[in-house]
Amino acid sequence: MKENPILETNDVTINFNGLVAVDSVNFKINEGESVGIIGPNGAGKTTFFNLLTGFFPPTKGKIFFYGRDITDKPPHKRVMMGIIRTFQLVSVFDHLSVLDNLILSNIKSSGISYSIGRFFFSEAHKPALKKICLEALKILGIEKKAEIMTSELSYGDKRKLEIAVALSMNPKILLLDEPFAGLSDQEIVEVSRIIKEFKKGFSMIIIEHKISRIVELVERLCVMHEGRLIAEGIPDQVLCEPLVREVYWGKEDGLVCSV
Amino acid sequence: MLNTIAYGLTIGGILYIISIGLSLTFGTMRIVNFAHGLIYTIGAYLLITTLPIFRENFIIGALFTVLAVIPISYVIERFVIRKLYGVSIDYAIIATYAVVLIGVDLIKWIWGASPIPLSDPIGIDVTIFSVTLPMYRLIIIMLSIAIFIALTIFFKKTMVGKIVVAALEDKDAVRGLGINVDKYFAYVFIIGSCLAALGGVLYAPITSVHPYMGMMVLLISFAVVLVGGLGNLKGTFVSAFVLGLVMAITGRFWGPAAETMVFIVMGIILIFKPIEV
Repeated sequence: MKENPILETNDVTINFNGLVAVDSVNFKINEGESVGIIGPNGAGKTTFFNLLTGFFPPTKGKIFFYGRDITDKPPHKRVMMGIIRTFQLVSVFDHLSVLDNLILSNIKSSGISYSIGRFFFSEAHKPALKKICLEALKILGIEKKAEIMTSELSYGDKRKLEIAVALSMNPKILLLDEPFAGLSDQEIVEVSRIIKEFKKGFSMIIIEHKISRIVELVERLCVMHEGRLIAEGIPDQVLCEPLVREVYWGKEDGLVCSV
Repeated sequence: MLNTIAYGLTIGGILYIISIGLSLTFGTMRIVNFAHGLIYTIGAYLLITTLPIFRENFIIGALFTVLAVIPISYVIERFVIRKLYGVSIDYAIIATYAVVLIGVDLIKWIWGASPIPLSDPIGIDVTIFSVTLPMYRLIIIMLSIAIFIALTIFFKKTMVGKIVVAALEDKDAVRGLGINVDKYFAYVFIIGSCLAALGGVLYAPITSVHPYMGMMVLLISFAVVLVGGLGNLKGTFVSAFVLGLVMAITGRFWGPAAETMVFIVMGIILIFKPIEV
């Protein structure tokens, strides 16, 4: 396979007053590739996302996007480059309507805040943008709820809305932080379907600690433990590595290695 | 008694104008900004300095003052407040308190420490419902209501307003949308500072202007913000008037307790309605 890394880290480390949450991680993801990052709670997965997206500055190391050093770029600039993320706790705006959530997310990426009157928010309700937003909702099957307040949505629908927001921003790489956390089994199936259906072209990284949920969504799996990347490779292989099994199930789990 | 209530509403109006900026800074940036009290004091001093220049025209003096604090608050925001995002709240208290101390000393150096009185700019009394009160106070009450309405529209209808309201809820999520929240926080900070200066301008004719006038008002404003809810536009409005009335009514019966009572009421309210952070 031809190597064409979209996002790459070089020895990235973050030290919170002595606690090394992410320790010398060298990570690479190619254009169009889907990678899962698994690991127990506190392994540093979300912190790693915060480094990739610029929410935390690394103590050491570099981050490259298409070979360009972006280590010092603030979060909003990285979003404009196409590095889009979702959060572990669903983060949509309860005080806005479902549609306004989508419109708000697009005023920047669509350039609308520059082109038309920036003063009144209603001016962002242009037919063209509205259409894009409504289409995104349709895909998720929540278009009937466009005008209601987001606070009235179920947690599962909020998660779908968050993913719709992320997808509508034209990601070059999408970072999903535990997209299934807090969802019912039924909703997990739906969200999983949405991700599978709409993951086109762009790269994707998914954090999850339940392996079974993401094996079929990703091509490659990375395992984090205590801030380090301890294994990576195709899912079946990685899950058979002794170190990974030790971290996940403890020594001598007695399980047969098959997924 | 009606007179006391009218006085309480005046105080409430001024408290609202001062507190709303504090509440927004607190709510969006999670920064305890003592420098807010300094801007209020600076507002009063700029007014008494510029009044003679504008031939005692109070409205022009007030307008000039409100505009003149824009660069001052920008400097404070850019070089002090912005360095405090995300760091522990005690740093913000220490750093902004340092700004206050420096500012107060500068004021003493420029204008001296003795209180400067200022006369009522209108000097006409009006009688409504058998209550006679200075026209000036009535205007303050109406102005505060107008500001409340204007801010409500601003935060509901404008682009900046929507983004700030969203950031009050979850600023990392706004960042995740590719929006530079710090820029919008700076707008909010400057609007809040202008209103603080306006509060100083409006209060100057009621009391006297002195270097420490911002200190006491700041503490009462914090009470208003905590009772009203951090970043809560409507809550701040209601709580400013409630606490203004508490001050006026307590003061009528026993002057020295007026300010203490505000904090007693705050304590009682917070027992039943804990702060949402």
